[in-house]
Amino acid sequence: MNRRNLIWIIVSFLLSVATIFYFVNYPGGKMAARLLNFETITKAYQQHILMVFVASAAAIIVSVSLGILITRPFFSKWASIVDNIVNIAQTIPSLAILALFFTYLGRGFSTAIFALWLYALLPILRNTSAGIQNISPGIIESARGMGMSNLHILTRIELPLALPVIMGGIRTSVVITVGAAALASFIGAGGLGDLIVTGLSVSRNTLVVAGGILSALLAIFLDQVLDLIEDSLRIR
Amino acid sequence: MIKIKYENVVKQFPGSDHLAVDNLNMEVHEGEICILVGPSGCGKTTSMKMTNRIFEHTSGHIYIDGVDNRDINPIELRLGIGYVIQEIGLFPHMTIADNVATVLVEKKWPKNKIHQRVEEMLNLVGLDPEIYSKRRPSGLSGGQRQRVGVARALASDPPVMLMDEPFGAVDPITRARLQNEFLRLQEQMKKTIIFVTHDIDEAIKMGDRIAVMRYGQLVQYATPDDLLSMPANDFVSSLVGGNRSIKRLNLIKVEDIDLYRPPEVAEGDSKTKVVEAVAGDKLGVALVVDDRGKLVGTVTNTDLKRKGEYVKDIYAPAHDLVGPKSTLRDTLSIMLGYGEGYALAVDQEGKPRGAVSVDDIFSAVKDNE
Amino acid sequence: MNQTLWDFFITRQDLLLELILEHVGIVLLAVAIAIVIGVTLGLLSSYYSALASIILPFTQIMMTVPSIALLALFIPIFGTGFLNGLIGLVIYSLLPIVRNTYIGIKEIDKGIIEAAQGMGMSERRILLKVKIPLALPVILAGVRTATVMITGIAAIVSAVGAGGLGELIFRGIARTYRDMIIAGTILISLLGIAADYGLKAAERSLTKQQS
Repeated sequence: MNRRNLIWIIVSFLLSVATIFYFVNYPGGKMAARLLNFETITKAYQQHILMVFVASAAAIIVSVSLGILITRPFFSKWASIVDNIVNIAQTIPSLAILALFFTYLGRGFSTAIFALWLYALLPILRNTSAGIQNISPGIIESARGMGMSNLHILTRIELPLALPVIMGGIRTSVVITVGAAALASFIGAGGLGDLIVTGLSVSRNTLVVAGGILSALLAIFLDQVLDLIEDSLRIR
Repeated sequence: MIKIKYENVVKQFPGSDHLAVDNLNMEVHEGEICILVGPSGCGKTTSMKMTNRIFEHTSGHIYIDGVDNRDINPIELRLGIGYVIQEIGLFPHMTIADNVATVLVEKKWPKNKIHQRVEEMLNLVGLDPEIYSKRRPSGLSGGQRQRVGVARALASDPPVMLMDEPFGAVDPITRARLQNEFLRLQEQMKKTIIFVTHDIDEAIKMGDRIAVMRYGQLVQYATPDDLLSMPANDFVSSLVGGNRSIKRLNLIKVEDIDLYRPPEVAEGDSKTKVVEAVAGDKLGVALVVDDRGKLVGTVTNTDLKRKGEYVKDIYAPAHDLVGPKSTLRDTLSIMLGYGEGYALAVDQEGKPRGAVSVDDIFSAVKDNE
Repeated sequence: MNQTLWDFFITRQDLLLELILEHVGIVLLAVAIAIVIGVTLGLLSSYYSALASIILPFTQIMMTVPSIALLALFIPIFGTGFLNGLIGLVIYSLLPIVRNTYIGIKEIDKGIIEAAQGMGMSERRILLKVKIPLALPVILAGVRTATVMITGIAAIVSAVGAGGLGELIFRGIARTYRDMIIAGTILISLLGIAADYGLKAAERSLTKQQS
């Protein structure tokens, strides 16, 4: 078990709790106090985590399936096309994706989830396809030569071997999604970004800083948890 | 009896304008090792891989036990054929035991039978299951990985084996040892084996029959002896190379020649006894055996200079021994490395069989020509 | 491309040009500062392992912090405006540059360094004449990663009043003006792709020179 991960996980958790208590006790003015209370902060967390969870879960399902599909010999020509699309798509800022979906689907939580899901697809798709493609051909050929069925080659060889790489993609994707979800407040989807965005518009620094610290700590916390999982999956 | 038959087999890869395999006709006899040898790109690996339909042939037929391999479902076909490739392709995420069990799991053997079989196979290739079965491939040396590869291919006891340079990626000494062990196993198993190599020495040592290939065509298909004495054309003679007498040493095994037996002494014998023994021996050596009769060391004049009352205090531990299946070529290189004019041979239990001297090797080559 | 979007590009070309210049300006300035700080930190880390064990994990952690959160944290110190955005972008650029400088130096064949020492070169000369030139392609790859990344992140600095093409997106959201958002998105992506290709070409010509 990696001690540094564990320390960061504990520290980021404790710091979040401390931050919440500090700002609830010292909101810095009446206007900020309306947002800086346990109820509102809990709700912001719920919205934030729900956005990240739903978008990421849906992205994992779709991307891993798609990644498996494009690494089948039949689709081999598609793999490089998908790689190119992913590379170009990643130069589009997450804010732009949120804004574009907003113009078609309107403000709100479900618009944000949809946009976040789309953005979260990319790293997982890329890592799934790379993780499977990078398995040494000798391993696959051995499995085939010994009479393993294609399904078993996928489930017993390819996926277990690609799993650490796929997990790395999931980690990247989740961290990006936590950040993008903080921007979702701009299209009225709530979350911890609400504190920042409201704080900016009413010029209340405590709100801005509280939102900043809490969303930063949430990203660090999830990143370290996923790093720990990724590490435990690595084949030694 | 014919086990595998290639009939007008042609392979052209898509997008290529030449034939990878050009009208191959060949019969592989049951229980024999058939070596495919030739320069890279000669079609040897392709020919091997068409046998279990890793590659599908463009035209012609491949029969296994008289059945066209195209009429057998590829999965079924492969489950009945052992497969070892040069990269070995051990699954890095699985334990050694799980690797060896691969085909058995695919064949849906019951768990306890698999466990038993895996232990049996690991013992067979000389890996202690207690130590190795729970390890992963990364915790093994190159030679040990190759052993696991062989154990994995043999696990379901397939009558036919395909091996593509299975001993390619190890140092020469380990390689010779693996080859010897495999030949010893084969003596009991009598598998039908198609074995690909680019090393003509390995071909001569391992093969019952050798197929020399070039540009996708079969140039000569003969026993090692015939290949050495009657190469079909210049290509084969250049492949076999000069020094055919030395190559021939690959064909003669230690057990084929009469061995001289130096005197034996026990570990507990006194120094005086061993002084006599060494003095009376024509090679100037006495063999030291333990109470179970195993060879543990030797005493020569150099060792006699050491202080000590008993043999056990002065003898030099035995090393670089040869077995009955070792070829005279391996024996010669051990002899040269050892710096003595002889090499010691032991049987499978480690009991001394005798000494092979340089003179023995000279006369063996002369008799054989 | 549809008609209204095209019209938008034509009629607002002055605004677009101004925002592009702002965007490119803040990105270039941030990368330039990050190169100075990042390469220095990377070089120092390659000499002092204690420093490396602090700086590398720290920059790694900073990367996971959401951009809007990082900008928010600087508000009490720097307020809103250009400086806040610039400092945020510099921090994001640091990690790839520091890490690649460190790796680039560490991965140089030890034999080459020993040869240089054996010929009596001083450490300063070795650094300038051997280490930095050999690590340069790796450092440049870090600069490219950083540039492409912060070209996208720079869209968000508009939220703290630092200008740039993000303005188009934020104003587009406020007015539900799709063409404005699309125009902003396209321009930001094009800048990112251009930076990627441009710096890749620079890397390639550099590696060619060396080999």
